[in-house]
Amino acid sequence: MIMEPLKTIRPELLQLTDPQLAALLPYFVVFGGIAVVIILSVVRFMKPKWPVFFLSLLTVGFGIGAALGLLQEGASELVFNGMMVSDTYSNFFIIVFLAAAGFTILSSFRYLDHENLQHPEYYVLTLFSALGMMLMASSLDLIVLFIALELMSLAVYVLVGFRRADRRSNEAALKYFILGSAASAVLLYGAALLYGMTGSTHIRDILAFVQSHPAGLPPVYVLGAWLVIVGFLFKVAAVPFHMWMPDVYEGAPVPVTGFMTTGLKAAAFAGFVRVLLATGYGKGLSEAVQANFHDLLWVCAVLTMLVGNIVALTQTNLKRMLAYSSIAHSGYLLVGMLAGPGSEQGYAPVVMYLVAYAVMNLGAFVVLTIIADRGDSGLNLNDLSGLARRHPWLSFAMGVFMFSMAGIPPTAGFAAKYLIFYSAIQANEISLVIIAVLCSAISVYYYLRVLVYIYMRDPVGSPAASRMSVWSVAAVTVMVVLTLQIGILPAKMVSAARKAVTSL
Amino acid sequence: MAWLDSHLLTTTVFLPLVWAVIGLLIPTGAPGGRAALRGWSLAGTLLVFAVSLLIYQRYDAGGAEFQLAESAAWLPALGINYRLGTDGISLWLVLLTTFLMPVAVLSSFRAIETREREYYFLLLFLETAMLGAFVALDIFLFYVFWEMLLIPMYFLIGIWGGKDRVYAAMKFFLYTLVGSLLMLVAIFYLAYQHKLQFGTYSAAFVDLYRLKLPGADYTSAQSLLFLAFALAFAIKVPLFPLHTWLPDAHVQAPTAGSVILAAILLKMGGYGFMRIAFPLFPQAVALYQVPFMVLGAVAVLYGAWVAMVQPDIKKLVAYSSVSHMGYVVLGLFSLNSIAVTGSYYQMLNHGISTGALFLLVGMIYERRHTREISAFGGLTRVMPLFAVAFMIVTLSSIALPGTNGFVGEFLILLGAWQVSPALTAVAGLGVIFGAVYMLWMFQRVMFGPLKHKENEGLKDLSFREMLVLAPMIVAIFGMGIFPNFVFDKLSPSIDRFVARSTTAANPAQGE
Repeated sequence: MIMEPLKTIRPELLQLTDPQLAALLPYFVVFGGIAVVIILSVVRFMKPKWPVFFLSLLTVGFGIGAALGLLQEGASELVFNGMMVSDTYSNFFIIVFLAAAGFTILSSFRYLDHENLQHPEYYVLTLFSALGMMLMASSLDLIVLFIALELMSLAVYVLVGFRRADRRSNEAALKYFILGSAASAVLLYGAALLYGMTGSTHIRDILAFVQSHPAGLPPVYVLGAWLVIVGFLFKVAAVPFHMWMPDVYEGAPVPVTGFMTTGLKAAAFAGFVRVLLATGYGKGLSEAVQANFHDLLWVCAVLTMLVGNIVALTQTNLKRMLAYSSIAHSGYLLVGMLAGPGSEQGYAPVVMYLVAYAVMNLGAFVVLTIIADRGDSGLNLNDLSGLARRHPWLSFAMGVFMFSMAGIPPTAGFAAKYLIFYSAIQANEISLVIIAVLCSAISVYYYLRVLVYIYMRDPVGSPAASRMSVWSVAAVTVMVVLTLQIGILPAKMVSAARKAVTSL
Repeated sequence: MAWLDSHLLTTTVFLPLVWAVIGLLIPTGAPGGRAALRGWSLAGTLLVFAVSLLIYQRYDAGGAEFQLAESAAWLPALGINYRLGTDGISLWLVLLTTFLMPVAVLSSFRAIETREREYYFLLLFLETAMLGAFVALDIFLFYVFWEMLLIPMYFLIGIWGGKDRVYAAMKFFLYTLVGSLLMLVAIFYLAYQHKLQFGTYSAAFVDLYRLKLPGADYTSAQSLLFLAFALAFAIKVPLFPLHTWLPDAHVQAPTAGSVILAAILLKMGGYGFMRIAFPLFPQAVALYQVPFMVLGAVAVLYGAWVAMVQPDIKKLVAYSSVSHMGYVVLGLFSLNSIAVTGSYYQMLNHGISTGALFLLVGMIYERRHTREISAFGGLTRVMPLFAVAFMIVTLSSIALPGTNGFVGEFLILLGAWQVSPALTAVAGLGVIFGAVYMLWMFQRVMFGPLKHKENEGLKDLSFREMLVLAPMIVAIFGMGIFPNFVFDKLSPSIDRFVARSTTAANPAQGE
């Protein structure tokens, strides 16, 4: 037993040793940064715009630096009575989340000016959400997991509705809030059932319980595990729990949508992997239950890929199209989740895919942020006609991201897809992989259609005022370089992902 | 120089890409900038050709199977490495590529007037991808190059193509991709089999050749894997009935694009069969030998018949490709040295003669902006030099003795006869139909009275156009009269290939 039952308050358990303090450094940095940003945003004697912007970036930068340091040490440290862990896995994801937040902030700066939305709260909420994600990846306890999920989601609910005067934005926020709360409730109910059966909310204790009952698990346990999994399936927008997503993605301001598709999704999967491991999936579940879990997830993965890709074909609004494509990518990730226990690579391909997806998708959204017209109009396919004439380099970047999402070499998307499908073959999921590759063939059509408009049509209408700024250009450049770098030389990222999952 | 010696293949493969990136920096807006860009691109392709001649010189036909080998760790955790090397089969396709690229660039000087920077960049990028696919010795690396070349080709068709260019580009991309993706699944399976059978990960061809896979019947692993690969390669070849992307892509592509598509991209399919599908799955090949030979023979006739009724010259040439590549499949599946040598030679021939046909069609299109056969007639009177060149290429395409086409088709029919006289007889009819559609088209375009006023003022070949056509015509006669020049450095590799691909000669490959 890792965690002692808390019958009486025992202060010595709550004290932090030096290595524990060091392990918590990234959280302290981010939280401290947020606190200062909040104070800065209410002082009266200066305009908060620039200081808040730079301080947020600094926070992100130092947070990444701290996590990198921990990653180099490679130590694994339990904190807060074993409720949280700082291991390679969590530190790896901390970097991903903070980077996503950082690039979102970079690309939003000019955008917020144009939309008259330049409020310091935007940065505060983004950072809070990132903090929630960080906790999510490092939680070893269902309660902490739930708190992290709420912290992350609540901040994003507000961000989705950030365009207060816009009805679509409000509608999206409300929809997201109600459905998101329902999902949280389902997850919490599942956690309660698990606690009832196992006597613990701790992930490793639950796993120990499962492994000590090889003969069979009580049905209430299975129900609880399913409810928790459904909560996560909702968060990653897997079919049939995806209905909320396209509307929310369309209604939210573009950079927020970008942040949601990358950070939120990565965080949900990071937590999902931990929970799925805890339920004993692939390791210790009795055969019948394992088959049951596997088959239902299998169906869910296939539906997610099919629905996501096929509906994306019919979309003419880029935001909506990328929303459905995001559903499709959740499907590929589910393939990796299914294959995890059965393949020698474990969940490493899932982690790798999340990174690749975050990079290319965030890149695409930064490009959209730059070309969006007032109120996020001008994001229909038609509006992209002839973009290559006006913005050759921006178009090139969009081309790289689209090819990457379609999984064409030499891009990150290809390397990631390759690994995930390879691991599924190792887990003997041949029919699943065939369905997956055919789905990704479908996806090529709608990704390439974007390029048809950009490169092969003549410009129509007068060009919208460009929102290019040094910051967003820097963000796009980094994303292009990363997309190509991970695609051409994937070895480093693969070994980093492997290290991350071995610490699980 | 020492570095070049040990990295000759890498240099050849990536020189075009590096050259292309530098070319992007040339300011085309400045006076003389466009000419500089053209000169730069031409110089680059010529330089690559020169470097590839070094490969020819270094390659020793009697030596090891794969020469000039290079290897570097790439994704060592999964046994994926950057491995390059060449044997006789790779060698001549590499030379064909590097030989045709300067021609393709030179032919674009007049034809391409918009967005030239992107155009030459994509052309050179395409060269890198094609060369890479021909010399990759790691199945993953091969796949990367194989898919990567879709990107430049997609843009070349989609941006500089004809009226229905977007449709054609999309169809080309999706068609080839669907085949490739199933091949990808097969690649995963194969690579993992190596781990299961030998305990280590590897994706090198030489290691995969040692795999033992069950192959007794139609549902065995060999059979299914073979079908996955064959689908990808057959689409590329393209084999009837998977050829429908080809007429669209060929007709819509700009001239240089059509030349490269016909001359080199289609060869990827044949090369894939020779490098992967045959040596890895000999039992499956034996199983599917007859059906594929039938498809090959059908393709020969079908392509010829459809070509006959085309009103558009370019479309006619496109369908003639289907017919010619049918011979290639017929010869490959005959699985004896004579037929396979013929098939390989036919691939090179098709590259030269169909490439030249597309160049010629491009030249009259630039003058008249139409390709309808009915819009011409009697062109010999105004364009005598063009007529001579066109005649030579036409005769090469219908395999007149003395031209390169004869050697290939003759060897194929000779070798295929040993396996199936009936199919060979059917395919032999294709030779007659081939002569019919080509000569009939030639007669309608070149001979007779000058029916249309617009044709009276057509200019004969310019000096640049002569430069474009001269190497092609030299190759036509050279390969027709001295085939041994090619065979010398090819035969040992072909023999190895046949030995590996026939179960009888390689009993270790069984269950």
